[in-house]
Amino acid sequence: MKKLHFDYCMQIAYSEVVSVCHFTIKCFPMKTLRQEVESTSIELYPAVTYSTGEDSFGNRQIYGENTIPHDTFQFHITGDVRTGLAGWEKEDDGKMTAVFRHPHGLNVAGEALYAYHVGLKTSLPAGNYEKGIYLMNRLYHDFAYEKGCTGMDTTAEQAWKLGRGVCQDYAHIMIALLHREGIPARYVTGMMIGEGASHAWVELCHEGKWYGLDPTNNAPAGDDYIRIGCGRDAADCLINRGIMHGGGNQMQTVRVSVTETDF
Amino acid sequence: MRQLELLQHTDTVNELLARYGVRFGIYKNNTFKEQLFPFDAIPRVIEYEEFLYLERGLKQRVTALNLFIKDIYSDKKIVKDGVVPEDFIFASSGYLAECEGILPPKGIYSHISGIDLVKGKDGNWYILEDNLRVPSGASYPMIARELCRRSSPETFHDNHLEDNRNYAQLLRQTFDHVSVGGHTVILTPGRYNAAYFEHSYLAERTGAHLVNGSELKVEDDKLYYVAVNGKKERVGAVYRRISDEYLDPMNFNPQSLIGIPHIFDVFRKGNVALLNAPGNGVADDKGIYYFAPKMIKYYLGEEPVLSNAPTYLPFYKEDMAYVLEHFDNLVLKDVAEAGGYGVVFGDAMTREQREAFIVLLKKEPRRFIAQEVIDFQDLDIQEEGGRVPRKADLRAFVLMADEPLVWKSGLTRFSRNSDSFIVNSSQGGGFKDTWVLSQ
Repeated sequence: MKKLHFDYCMQIAYSEVVSVCHFTIKCFPMKTLRQEVESTSIELYPAVTYSTGEDSFGNRQIYGENTIPHDTFQFHITGDVRTGLAGWEKEDDGKMTAVFRHPHGLNVAGEALYAYHVGLKTSLPAGNYEKGIYLMNRLYHDFAYEKGCTGMDTTAEQAWKLGRGVCQDYAHIMIALLHREGIPARYVTGMMIGEGASHAWVELCHEGKWYGLDPTNNAPAGDDYIRIGCGRDAADCLINRGIMHGGGNQMQTVRVSVTETDF
Repeated sequence: MRQLELLQHTDTVNELLARYGVRFGIYKNNTFKEQLFPFDAIPRVIEYEEFLYLERGLKQRVTALNLFIKDIYSDKKIVKDGVVPEDFIFASSGYLAECEGILPPKGIYSHISGIDLVKGKDGNWYILEDNLRVPSGASYPMIARELCRRSSPETFHDNHLEDNRNYAQLLRQTFDHVSVGGHTVILTPGRYNAAYFEHSYLAERTGAHLVNGSELKVEDDKLYYVAVNGKKERVGAVYRRISDEYLDPMNFNPQSLIGIPHIFDVFRKGNVALLNAPGNGVADDKGIYYFAPKMIKYYLGEEPVLSNAPTYLPFYKEDMAYVLEHFDNLVLKDVAEAGGYGVVFGDAMTREQREAFIVLLKKEPRRFIAQEVIDFQDLDIQEEGGRVPRKADLRAFVLMADEPLVWKSGLTRFSRNSDSFIVNSSQGGGFKDTWVLSQ
């Protein structure tokens, strides 16, 4: 069990003035079985009013329209979270579990991933969790971490063919493999100690409990991890989504820090 | 039926239809072309008793489909009870996880349903398709009837049929039932949509504003209509004639320029009614069609009044075996396609085509359904040389207000060529008025 302080700051700089923009932000750690959120503070620049709500996956979101002309948009959230209170998340009422059993969007496999899965199939142990651990370990060794070669829209199949990618790609591939085994699996966004950016990992359902596994680091998502939200793939839980009038070229920078603090 | 006086006025009616802009837009080779939707004056006539039977079956079907969609986006009991396999729901393109947990106003998901039927030579009616997303077509028989009455009043004096000019009232009743208060608007993608005539005509007839996306605006979780002078007025119901994908760039396709940012968030909060509700395509998938009679039994505990055309799902092993064995007698449909595309007849394929198709079928069994080719009744149409028979179907319109309402008319479409079974208007056919006798 740890107490973590987080600081997430996203800034978008535009080469030309934005006259109007619409935004939806999903970057709010929530109370779950594994974590408790002690305090959060949110700052938006330009400061505008916004609506709050929850999406269909239970992720908290804020959204609105910004009509103040601006050439920089900034979103800053800080807070304290107690993590590692449990080793899993509960299955709620199980209504959504079936949804996470089927390929969708960026986690859809193709011929290359089918072939990879067939090659692994014979050595898979019994049990969803054990299968997940095995697949995570194999993927960690068979796929290379490299920034900049994949993008937001890269699918599991494309990343796998390329052989390299970032946490988002690891997660999509692992979800695709778990789906091949008929195991419900979902994409999780969050933050972790030692990462300068947001992070992504996977949760799989085993006997009514969702376990977090991080294929990028070949480890279960323990108390170094702050969970933000989940969905079927990265597109379901984009931290920031926006459309704008004007703006020209844009440059987005995200700074994240997670540090352990005393109780 | 005696020779109708009306038939002497076919050309007049068609000229008037052209003048009123009754057209159908199609995209071919990346260019937009509008074509006239040819009208044949010989009506399809449905007897009073026969229509009562259809009405009973249609109400039952649409009630069950609505309950199904509600169940899918909440408890999913029908899946848990093993009546419909998961694969036909969560992997279908019509299913939108974004709609999970949302209860639309009054719990209605399909307010306006277009149910396609055919009458077989055996005298039985069969349901061919349930169109729940944005079914179009009601405006054509509406305006045709209007023009026919004007051209030949005596025809309507001598024949006793149900007046079908009340569609706008039924639609209005449907809007008002779910509106959360404020204006009702009809949202069109614009002038270059295939059904633009219909959008403008229905707006005129129902008294709803015809708007495009840029005239609507979200503020503080509410939807407003912004007039040219900048005045904002609250909108309580949107009869949207654009598909889910383009409805809201902040929740669906971000490239959409015809949608309204955050309109879906307003809907989620219950502050506007969207007709039809997003996500209802989960029930009009061609694969799900197979399960509609099972839904009727499951949710209503009733036997289905109207039957499906005999349908096989290659997803099931027994059905796959049947399909392979009777390939030549079947029509195969790609569940992902619409508008008469992706439909192939087993006996019309060359050997190579058939072999390639079977490979695909075995690889992606979930993607196809197979149906017996129904020998459906021909209806006569007038051609230069006299009357000739054509295949025809009927799109019945079922509206869901405080109770299901069946419009006592419908769109009868016929195929252009004598050898074609495909009556879809995108494929060049024409239409007829549908007369429901009132006694």
